[in-house]
Amino acid sequence: MTGALGIYNYWIYVLLMMIGLYGVIAKPNLIKQAIALGLFQTGIFLYYISMAVVDGGTAPVWTTILDGAQKYEGPYDNPLPHVLILTAIVVSVSVLAVALALIINIKRAYGTIEYDEIEAMDQADKRADYQRGQVTDAADDVEHRQEGHHHA
Amino acid sequence: MNAVVLIDTLLLLLVTATAVAIIEVRSLYASAILTGIYSLLMALVWVNMHSMDVSFTEAAVGGGISTILLIGTLVHVGREEKPIKKRLHVPALIFTALTGAALIYGTLDMPRFGDPAAPIHHYRVPEMMAQTVGFVNGTPGKQKPPEGFDLDRYRRFDGRVTGPIPDDPKDTAWREKSILQTEGLMVPQVRAAHEPHAEEGHHLHPPDDFNGHVPNSVTSLLAAYRGYDTMFETTVIFTAGISLILLLRRPRREGYLQPGAALSDQVILRVVTKLSIPFILIFGFYVITHGELGPGGGFQGGVVLATAFILYALIFGRAALYRVVPPPVSDILTGVGVLIYSGTGAACMLLGGKFLDYSMLNPAVPGDGESLGMTLVEYGVGLTVSMVMLTIFNQLAEERST
Repeated sequence: MTGALGIYNYWIYVLLMMIGLYGVIAKPNLIKQAIALGLFQTGIFLYYISMAVVDGGTAPVWTTILDGAQKYEGPYDNPLPHVLILTAIVVSVSVLAVALALIINIKRAYGTIEYDEIEAMDQADKRADYQRGQVTDAADDVEHRQEGHHHA
Repeated sequence: MNAVVLIDTLLLLLVTATAVAIIEVRSLYASAILTGIYSLLMALVWVNMHSMDVSFTEAAVGGGISTILLIGTLVHVGREEKPIKKRLHVPALIFTALTGAALIYGTLDMPRFGDPAAPIHHYRVPEMMAQTVGFVNGTPGKQKPPEGFDLDRYRRFDGRVTGPIPDDPKDTAWREKSILQTEGLMVPQVRAAHEPHAEEGHHLHPPDDFNGHVPNSVTSLLAAYRGYDTMFETTVIFTAGISLILLLRRPRREGYLQPGAALSDQVILRVVTKLSIPFILIFGFYVITHGELGPGGGFQGGVVLATAFILYALIFGRAALYRVVPPPVSDILTGVGVLIYSGTGAACMLLGGKFLDYSMLNPAVPGDGESLGMTLVEYGVGLTVSMVMLTIFNQLAEERST
């Protein structure tokens, strides 16, 4: 395991992260984006767990206590990245769940979960509001109303 | 090239291919199923890297829960992606290629895969693993220092006792003169921490003297060294459960449930489900309880427990599930889990120790106190995780009237 093969795992982590990133940017479907975000996360998990590996090592459970008689002197893999990633996985499913809940609400409000369509509907709404002279967007509100006064 | 590396290489190629398929396949339903396959492959990768706890979690969460959640959502939002005219998004491709190239350039400096001399294995970690062994951390209730041992000379800025602090940082002679060293009190991890630039072939050892210490070092790091972190991760999950309730739950006056379709007319599914649910529950409790001895713990066990309830709901309908676990009960239990965790920490304080200093639960035998504390904490985590997963499933499966 020397040369390029020695850091092969780290290249795969970059690849997975970039596949996820591509999905988030290129796919307008919100469900796809949520899944792609998950791929991005697993890339990072792979990076951490790869760092924990020690040549010839085994799972970091001190078996000495269980057997008593025989003593395994190591090496063991580094347990710290395992701890970090174990909790990160459960948090990632919570993130996915909240994202899905928001997507369901978006579907209810807009009737679609394609980002470009949602954007187009928002723009169309805004344009219609401008034409009617009532602006719902708080930032434009004051300015536009003053403008309306002027014309009146 | 040995077998482990070969398997690792093949698995990672499969994982990458699956990831591309997940992004590119047009049917969202296929994408969700592929996500489950991806997670199971990832679980195999973790096993291959000896990360049993992570593998456990990945299989239960990724292969089980998130696939169910995705499919549950697709019922509401439609299972087909809108056809895109251009298949390849060129700006995104250029952007990701550049970012990827920069990251790969960064990896060229990394220590090679499995290098025992990598800094990650020597900076702080050995001390972490040694923290509850001997009197290295100077906490009362642990092994007493010998007569005439000047603890304060060895106390570091963070209150832990690892070795004498030299006046001149370049002076290394103190290591040889160290009482910890000469009296044979320094456990190998601490010794390794004193020699940061370890020679090739140096590796992490188990502590010499366990004092009844918890054998699964992943659990002991999770619940002791990173106890605060784990507590707030549990809180994050609790918050996710609350968010789902706020976002999707129907008002109580409308009732929690709209009648939904169940597969209950399928006799084989009903029988198999009823047979397997007790075993899933026993396995879940086993995983939580056994977490300090071997791979497993509150996060993994909690998810396994939740799958039993979710399976019941899928086959017998959510009306049946709500008779077993009414929503108010699961809501309250979600909070009770966090309360058990922080309550254990508070109990340690009331007994005279620091927050989450489990050895205070049994000062006579600190190792037993640690085991007890960690088991309590794991049950708290398990309760919160299982009830939040159940809540998330219920809310995503629900068809709101408004």
